[in-house]
Amino acid sequence: MMQVNWIYMVIGLCILLAAFAVWLEIRRANKKRLALRMFAVLIAAIALACLALPLSYQKEAKQNDREAFALLTTGFAADSIPANARLFTCDATIKKAYPRAMFVQGLDMLTDTLKDYPLHIYGDGLNKSQLDDLGNLPVIFHPQALPAGVSHISWSQKLKAGRVLQVQGTYQNPSAQKVTLLLKGLNTILDTATIQPKGRRNFELMATPKSNGKRVYQALSVAGGDTVLQGSIPFSVEPVKPLRVLLLSASPGFETKFLKGWLSRQGYAVAARSAISKDKFNSEYINIKQLPLDRLTASTLAQFDVVIGDLSTLNTLGGADAASLRHEVEDSGLGIIMRADSTGKTSWLQKDFLLENIQGKEVFSALNINGKRSSSAKIGNGTTGIRYHEGTQPLIMGAQGRVLASSSIAGQGRLVFSTLGNTYSWALGGNQQDYAAVWSALISKAARRDTSANIPIEVDAMPFAGQPVQLHIANGVSSPISINGEVLAPEQNPAMPFEWSARYWPKEAGWQSLRHDNITDWFYAWPQTEWKGVQAAAKTAATQQYAAGHTPGSIVTKQIHQKLRIEVPKIYFYILLLVACAFLWVERKWL
Amino acid sequence: MAKQALHKIDALRRRWVVYQVLADAALSAAIALLAAGVFLLLGWLVWWAFPVFWSVFSIMLVLHCPWRIGNQKIVSFLDREYLELQESTGLLLLPAEELNVLQSLARANTEEAWANLQVGHKLFAKRFLRSALLMALAALFFIAIVILYHPANGGNSRTRGIGIAEQKFPMEKPLPQIDGIGVTITPPAYTRRAQRSQDRFNISVEDGASVNWHISTNVAVKQPYLLFNDKERISLRNTGEGKTWQAAKTISGPGYYQVSIDGKLSELYQVQVIKDAPPVIQVKTPKPYTYIDAGEAQRVTIDAALTDDYGIANAQIMATVAKGRGEGVKFKEYKLNFNTVFTGQPQYDAQKLVDLPALNMEPGDELYFYVQARDTHQQQSRTDVFTVAVQDTAELLSMDGILSGANLKPEFFRSERQIIIDAEQLLKDKDSITVEKFNARSNDLGIDQKLLRLRYGKFLGEEDESQEVPKTSDGVADPADFSNAAKILKEYTDDHDKAEDAQFFEPAIKAQLKATLTEMWKAELQLRLYKPQAALPFAYKALRLLKDLQQKSRSFVAKTSYNPSPIKLDKRLTGELDKIIQPVNKQEIKPAGDAFGALRKAIEVLEQLKAKPTLTTADARVLQVANQQLSLRASAQPGTYLSALGAMRRILSAQKISAIDIGVVERAIQITITAPQVLPSAKAQPADGGLSRSYYKNLKNAKP
Repeated sequence: MMQVNWIYMVIGLCILLAAFAVWLEIRRANKKRLALRMFAVLIAAIALACLALPLSYQKEAKQNDREAFALLTTGFAADSIPANARLFTCDATIKKAYPRAMFVQGLDMLTDTLKDYPLHIYGDGLNKSQLDDLGNLPVIFHPQALPAGVSHISWSQKLKAGRVLQVQGTYQNPSAQKVTLLLKGLNTILDTATIQPKGRRNFELMATPKSNGKRVYQALSVAGGDTVLQGSIPFSVEPVKPLRVLLLSASPGFETKFLKGWLSRQGYAVAARSAISKDKFNSEYINIKQLPLDRLTASTLAQFDVVIGDLSTLNTLGGADAASLRHEVEDSGLGIIMRADSTGKTSWLQKDFLLENIQGKEVFSALNINGKRSSSAKIGNGTTGIRYHEGTQPLIMGAQGRVLASSSIAGQGRLVFSTLGNTYSWALGGNQQDYAAVWSALISKAARRDTSANIPIEVDAMPFAGQPVQLHIANGVSSPISINGEVLAPEQNPAMPFEWSARYWPKEAGWQSLRHDNITDWFYAWPQTEWKGVQAAAKTAATQQYAAGHTPGSIVTKQIHQKLRIEVPKIYFYILLLVACAFLWVERKWL
Repeated sequence: MAKQALHKIDALRRRWVVYQVLADAALSAAIALLAAGVFLLLGWLVWWAFPVFWSVFSIMLVLHCPWRIGNQKIVSFLDREYLELQESTGLLLLPAEELNVLQSLARANTEEAWANLQVGHKLFAKRFLRSALLMALAALFFIAIVILYHPANGGNSRTRGIGIAEQKFPMEKPLPQIDGIGVTITPPAYTRRAQRSQDRFNISVEDGASVNWHISTNVAVKQPYLLFNDKERISLRNTGEGKTWQAAKTISGPGYYQVSIDGKLSELYQVQVIKDAPPVIQVKTPKPYTYIDAGEAQRVTIDAALTDDYGIANAQIMATVAKGRGEGVKFKEYKLNFNTVFTGQPQYDAQKLVDLPALNMEPGDELYFYVQARDTHQQQSRTDVFTVAVQDTAELLSMDGILSGANLKPEFFRSERQIIIDAEQLLKDKDSITVEKFNARSNDLGIDQKLLRLRYGKFLGEEDESQEVPKTSDGVADPADFSNAAKILKEYTDDHDKAEDAQFFEPAIKAQLKATLTEMWKAELQLRLYKPQAALPFAYKALRLLKDLQQKSRSFVAKTSYNPSPIKLDKRLTGELDKIIQPVNKQEIKPAGDAFGALRKAIEVLEQLKAKPTLTTADARVLQVANQQLSLRASAQPGTYLSALGAMRRILSAQKISAIDIGVVERAIQITITAPQVLPSAKAQPADGGLSRSYYKNLKNAKP
């Protein structure tokens, strides 16, 4: 209270003093330099007030003021490290290059040392398992710019024979020259992509593997004559398992005939039933044992993975047949491919697929299969199209995005509706490739899901030799998992009882065999020298995520978060007062 | 003194002339260099610049005439340039006795200056220097064009030669015993090439060439031989102390070979064969189907370009004449020779004029021919068949079509035919009648043609000139019609049907009728010009078009002779199907075997070898099968597969397997095998322990 009064008193007195002095100046006979003198008077008054008042300002207590702890990770820039920090590293190579840093064996050692002090991390950061070791240590992360090279990459590690290997990713190209990315497999360059200079660019490399089995392709970058191995691209190509197909048709036709011929030539099991008169059918069995097709019972349908039929046949099935078909689709996952034809009756199969008539002449165009523009030969789009309906997925599109084949889900199974009625013209003309592409897309979509497939292994991040990797194995059976002959004890996911996870340290780079429930599967561990950019990007992202959840402020209490009051030194105001008064005196005396 | 001065001035005059000529020459050279540069850009011969230079130079000399300059000019020039001569140099040339006192004084002064005068070259050379500078610039331009343009021009297309493809062969590593190697290649006779020799084992030879190997060894060796394609063994003949060896072979196909010395096989060497392509024939004229209308000249010029990589031995035209029609067609074959004599050059442009009547061809006959060429290697090639048809006038003039009930009036057609017959008769009579009579008859025919044309014109709604009669009564004279616009217009304007609106015929028929009229017009024109010969093609064409028109108006229905079996009326429409059995067809179709199965398996083995370079027996067996496939391919395409075959053998034999060899083999296999077809496949069901299924069931049951 006294303090506040003192301030007001000083300010009041000084204002009075200033007013008096100004009045004196105005009254003064010599009006020369009046403005200057008045200014000097005011300055003198203010300086006097400041001398009397306790002036100070507030400032946050700097972290630097206390000792800082910094952890150096790969990719740090030496000039960004503060001079007075205590440096740690858990990387032997950094220790060698930067002897000031103290080498720590494990990060848990740091947790003990630091208690609650925040840790500064310089460089690319730490990987997931290292971050787990930090406990809940507050962290301030100073990320570095990503190194030149591939920073993100993805591809499908399991392919079916004949499918395209599609490698997509991002390339960090800070240099001023173009970079060419090569996809190399079997000592042959299979595809190239050009990365424009200055910036992050997306790229895509594609190749169709020509043989089955485990393969390791390479991604190389060529910049100005230097070829650098970015990393390996491992994948395995599995042979296609033949499916069992039931063809139903209201009358013998070309489409059925060619489809039957094509499927059976590939070793697929095909049973075909075509009506030749009322309740009279012509049945054919290729690569399958003979079974009654007059009635479609549940046991008959269970023999097949997919039913391909004319809409009129499917709609006019007898009550029992229709019921068993519906049951098989919804409860057991049988797929149905309907081929549109002129039919009066409608059934549950059609409810998702509304047809519309297209006016005008029939358009011929290449097809867009599964969202990808194919370079197929032109084919008539017909005069009907499928109107898009919620819950369906267009499979094949023709000119102007008209949907020619679409799919929807019915319980466990899938329904595919196609208005294409003249694909046989491709088969007839010897265009096997386009024919195979269209029917593969349709049948693959509809086919009953394969339950005997390999163990689906998922990894948290790309596994590297010498680094722990978290494996997630989805399998209902709880049998021991062995990797490279080493038995692991998997941990069951409490929420999803069929998911098991295990941690494994791959010792050597290359394919790692995983055996579970008498099935062997493989995953690949890269040497640490590969995909450096991807490693750095993954570490940076993980550390950033960790740092966001462990900011120093959120954990540390007020004591650390201290504010300082700093008094303004009085000497500045003395000097100001002296200068103002000296001017007033000198002006009067000599000027 | 005057003489001396005269001498000096003469000398100066000569100098002037020389410099002027030099300047002209330099300027001409500059222009010629520019022209040469332009020629180079246009791709012409650069030597054309020389005539340019000479012509420009002579034109300049004629224009300037530098030798015509007189001493007076030189003198005045000197006066202008050298002030110390005081404008009096001219006085030096004049005889001293003719001068007056003042002139003598001036002359004396000038003489003094003259004696000390040093005339520099600079003044005289001024123009030359400027021209020389221009020439230098032009030279720079020319050089720039030569440097910038010539390398881009690169493979000069003018010097087209069929050389031996100089293969880039890999480096050879001969066996250590081999000291020297000489391979003599004698190309076969058909190539007309000289013998050549090389000191490499990899050979690239013409098909059928005989190759001679001379191998000298540094030590005496026993029983060396050459092994071709792993099968054929050719022993080397000893020609001296077991150190020089020789063998010969005629190469008939590509492949590879090895040299074996003391049981040790060398690496694989390529044998590339340059196949002789069959001759290429391009027929420029006539077109694949040529139709000679009646009245046109009945001859065909066959113009063909023949090329071969070594030489063409012979070429012929194989012609077939088809006479008659229906079942009475007779064929007669002719072999016609081109006018060109073939001496084995690689390129010929051959012509032949075929006179159709000389081949006994008559109207309605057809000539089929093709050109056949044989090269020096006795390889033949032939073109497609070309057809030349002569219009059948007999059919055109026949009355058959008309007699069987045509709707159109027959006399119209007879008229056109009659005109043709009359015109032909007139041509026959030409020699026996006077010119006046000939012309008169031709003109009469022209009139007939006109009348005919007008008659047809009526069908098209054209103006009917034939019935035009002068108007007698004045239709508007009636006072009641005063200011009746419609009536006046009718009287004084040409009021008739429009050609476009006359709806006698369909548009297509009308168009053809119009075309007919056009032909008639042309025929009439020629007849009126007393050229019945020239009129005939048009008349024939008109007749043909009329015939077509006539044919169009009818349709033809063939008689059928189908007798349906009698229907059993008691079974009709009963709908009984119990007698119909349901056909059942059962078969097993095995997927076709993979032609590249062995190679695909080999990839698997090679990929494993990369990780673990030891070869098991099972793996070796797989690679052996792949090796056989590769060697088959290598013998067909040694350039592509030989290195892979060598690498594969090293993998199979070697104790140490190198990654480079694996790479080479893998690359070759990757080139060979094809990608498999996309096939339908089922997606994997995620292993969820039936969680989603029970979720779905519960959801379904929960529905109200």
